[in-house]
Amino acid sequence: MSGNMHIARSSDKSILEKAECGGAVTSILKFALETGKVDGVVTIRAKNGNRYAGVPVLITEPEELSETSGSLHCSTPNIPRFVKEYLDGASTMKLAVVGKPCDIRAIIELQKRKQIDNDNLILIGLNCTGTLSPTTAKEMFIEEFEVEPTEVMREDIDEGKLVIILEDGTSKSKDLIELEEKGVGRRDNCRRCEINIPIFADLACGKWGAETEEKKSTFIEVCSNKGKALIDEAIEEGFIEVEEPDKRSIQLREEKDKAEKERAKEWKGRDFEPLLELAPSERLDYWIREFNKCIKCYGCRDACPICYCDHCLLEANRGFVEGGKIPPDAVFPLTRLAHVADSCINCGQCQDACPMELPLSKLFNLLNTKLSEVFDYTPGVDVEQGPPLSAVMMEELQIEDTFLDMSSINTRLRGSESSNSS
Amino acid sequence: MIEYESTICPYCSCGCGIYLVIKDGKIIGQEPQHEHPINEGGNCPKGRNAYQFLYADDRLKTPLIKKDGRLEESTWDEALDLIAAKLKKADPDDFGLLASGKNTNEEAYVLQKFARVIMGTNNVEYCGRLCHSPTAAGLGPTVGSGVMPISQLDIQKADCIFLVGINPKETFPMMAKRILRAKEKGAKVIVLDPRKTVTARDIGNIHLQLEPGTDIAVLNSMMKVILDEGLESKEFIESRTEGIERLRDHLASLDLKEMEKISGVPLKELKKAARWLAKAEIGCVLYNQGLNQHSKGADNVKALATLALVTGQYGRPGTGISPTRGQINGEGTGDMGCLNVFYPGFQRVGTGASEKFEKLWGVDNLPSKPGYPYTKMLQETKYLWVVGTNPMMAAPDVDSVREALERKELLIVQDIFPTETAQLADVVLPVATWVEREGIHAYVDRRVQKINRIIDPPAEAKPDWWIVCQLAERMGYKSKFDFSSPGEIFEEIRRCVPPYKGITYERLEKTVGGIQWPCPTEDHPGTTTFFTKKFNTPDGLGHLQVVDYRPQAEQPDEDYPYVLTTGRSIFHYHTGSMTRRTPKLNDETPKGFCQINPTDAVAEKIRNGDKVILKTRRGSIEAEAHVTDEVPKGLVFLPFHFGESCANKLTNPVLDPACGMPEYKACAVKIEVKT
Repeated sequence: MSGNMHIARSSDKSILEKAECGGAVTSILKFALETGKVDGVVTIRAKNGNRYAGVPVLITEPEELSETSGSLHCSTPNIPRFVKEYLDGASTMKLAVVGKPCDIRAIIELQKRKQIDNDNLILIGLNCTGTLSPTTAKEMFIEEFEVEPTEVMREDIDEGKLVIILEDGTSKSKDLIELEEKGVGRRDNCRRCEINIPIFADLACGKWGAETEEKKSTFIEVCSNKGKALIDEAIEEGFIEVEEPDKRSIQLREEKDKAEKERAKEWKGRDFEPLLELAPSERLDYWIREFNKCIKCYGCRDACPICYCDHCLLEANRGFVEGGKIPPDAVFPLTRLAHVADSCINCGQCQDACPMELPLSKLFNLLNTKLSEVFDYTPGVDVEQGPPLSAVMMEELQIEDTFLDMSSINTRLRGSESSNSS
Repeated sequence: MIEYESTICPYCSCGCGIYLVIKDGKIIGQEPQHEHPINEGGNCPKGRNAYQFLYADDRLKTPLIKKDGRLEESTWDEALDLIAAKLKKADPDDFGLLASGKNTNEEAYVLQKFARVIMGTNNVEYCGRLCHSPTAAGLGPTVGSGVMPISQLDIQKADCIFLVGINPKETFPMMAKRILRAKEKGAKVIVLDPRKTVTARDIGNIHLQLEPGTDIAVLNSMMKVILDEGLESKEFIESRTEGIERLRDHLASLDLKEMEKISGVPLKELKKAARWLAKAEIGCVLYNQGLNQHSKGADNVKALATLALVTGQYGRPGTGISPTRGQINGEGTGDMGCLNVFYPGFQRVGTGASEKFEKLWGVDNLPSKPGYPYTKMLQETKYLWVVGTNPMMAAPDVDSVREALERKELLIVQDIFPTETAQLADVVLPVATWVEREGIHAYVDRRVQKINRIIDPPAEAKPDWWIVCQLAERMGYKSKFDFSSPGEIFEEIRRCVPPYKGITYERLEKTVGGIQWPCPTEDHPGTTTFFTKKFNTPDGLGHLQVVDYRPQAEQPDEDYPYVLTTGRSIFHYHTGSMTRRTPKLNDETPKGFCQINPTDAVAEKIRNGDKVILKTRRGSIEAEAHVTDEVPKGLVFLPFHFGESCANKLTNPVLDPACGMPEYKACAVKIEVKT
């Protein structure tokens, strides 16, 4: 197993100087570009040097890569949408896409829907423990950390702390839960996210497990043959240096992942329980009240990396939802829910784009969590696995009860599994 | 290559950030700009469809000159030579210029300078006359300044929000977001509106549904309740205002029951609202056209400002009464002096302003008497230059506007589309707009933000400032208009308009969300809150105003039994020239409609969706009837976005004598099914 894992760093001095974690990812990308393995790299860049304004970019010149190194925790660019919408779903060029787990998962969901080409993509996943919305972050730096946002050079979210590193080299740290209980800190979808290491990408890269190295390094898990070919050649061609991680490093990485998962579960409880405790009619009232804030901007739909129809049923000219009316009938948000809830990868883009601040990500994430339990399905982690609400299993066709009784379905499913295997 | 370029939405005046996605010099999409402090990644429907209008098929791309009654393609040289030759013959009083709430400050500045320096007249106006002239006339004598006295961001700090004749959920959605934030924290929201708008229905805690035009009866009653119950802010009144005795005497003479009868607002509800506002720690008042667009608009504004003064709701973040300008540069074009009575920086005509600008500009004989206000200018001038505004849709009594425009010696229309007004022009000049040119705008809360040139204008279209400078040169004034870029014009603005002195292009490039003027020095952060220590009046005090209720100019009668009120809706913008060319928006509301109460509909035998004829003493139009209780019995609402159902064929051109505002919000109408 550890043959698929490396402690890696760049062999290039100039990259090493700039890098946060040894520059391995930058060097692998440089290798891929220089050797024509890919035509371009999709990643994010701080627009005009503004770290709160990270935007997706397509890079085709290796020397431009160094401008994009380093994480931007306080930017929330929509990378999958960039690939789908503006790069023709990678149909015309080979791309390496660098992204957080949710970015990679959205791309995998789009691959399932034939919106992004599988063969033309190499997915470089980065570990993630959450991001902050830029305006919240700036306000928080001023109010809570008492620093000017422009002084912050880097952030780190680890072990329940938010650490910021300032221009003068000093750092400040605060307890994340305390910040988040005040309504600042990470975006609420990130708080609930249990997927920190993107092992469904071709390479999963991060700092966990490499912190104890003397030289700054990145821990890389090779997750596919495509990933293996890329990294092996990058090593062979001398772009990166690697060592095999020791047991302790692997364990450390696993422990950190587990601890973050626990934190996420707690947040899920905090966010979902008050809703689940409501009587059904009260819960409906709650959502209708929220839906009534809607001004029908379509921002949630447009930002959703999973939505892809050219002629959306919700458009006014389709005659499905009455045009010209705000709030639109509840059929508007509910149709969106029906269309994507089973595949929601909890990226939070819908909520970020909502001008009226509907808790959309909470709604989708809650429903998706429930559906995931029922179907034992996690969206965005396996391109072969179809979305459960659009794929019908044989067993489902045998269900007589039209009012879905989940426990009886589960019993039936389990029963038929055991009978199949026998 | 694909690039995300940041810019500011071209619609209302909130000033929201967006990213335009550029490929090969063309906009191919737009994306949320999460780091912008106003919208934080969200946009309203118009903001989400910001750029499509640029690529409409009928963009004006080349100058047009009317020959034998038809507009024919021409060249810049021919068009400008023709204009210059005609304008050289014009007497100062015969020339008029209408600027726009959508041009940049740099463009507005050179436009007014052209009228004053070259044509020798103060006949320069813009659409601000038709939306916020009562603001200037009402707030001037009361608090000394007709601008939004706070930052939009601070609306959410309020614990009571009073919305007066404003429907932010449809017309300023980003303000609605902050109102909702305040409400989440327990703030009370009071809506004063004759219509049960989505704001009244979905955001308001109390809806004071007054009879149209009875605002003063309501506001005076609220003040009376507050004084009678001793809820006024005594310390504030004592230290920061004058005129309380006069006001007290006046209010004492009023009978609340009688006022209740006039306004139709139940006294019980009114008292509750008055107490909320008086007891609020931070009372925020936002108002718009529902208060302004009356023949007594200035008095309405005075009454509202007096209410805020009496309750001490001024001078702290989130307080005060905030006029809400509706265009990206509704504030800035006024700041730059495109008003008949103001030189740049609101330096009033006749108070030494002309002498001051003679020195600044190095010229003699600048005009020192006021010019015509907007609607008078349409009628009285012989040579009219219309820049980025559409009086054939926006001015009251459009049929008489048409007659006046058809009489002109020379009508120049400078625009991006062949608008209803451009159809009548002798010369049509095609312009570059929004991200096709560079410059600054001042958004609703004096927030100055810069627009960069991101794409090229189509074909021969040119920026407004370039056209002005070219024409100035042909008129023999090259030395006074020797600008080769908007940046050079802005440097002159910084010298001549003190509130802008500390703002530079470089600072704006670096400051997402812009800088609020006044900004006196280059290290000054800008001013979020006005009147913290004193008001802008000569004595620094707030002047409590005594105003009386007067009914609207035209009352319903047997022949015209309903009250007609006009306004806006969420999917369209003003006269529709942009949104009706944006398919996704136009599909939402594709045709002109009017709202009528179910009871009235039954009486007139109108069913939902029927084509109806609306008729007033000015003219008649057709529209689709929407039968809805959003309007009370007796009231018909008609949006003014639709050329085929042109609301302003019907409206009453009677003006508020204090400020020249037409009475768009109330006239008498009859309605019948089209057979």
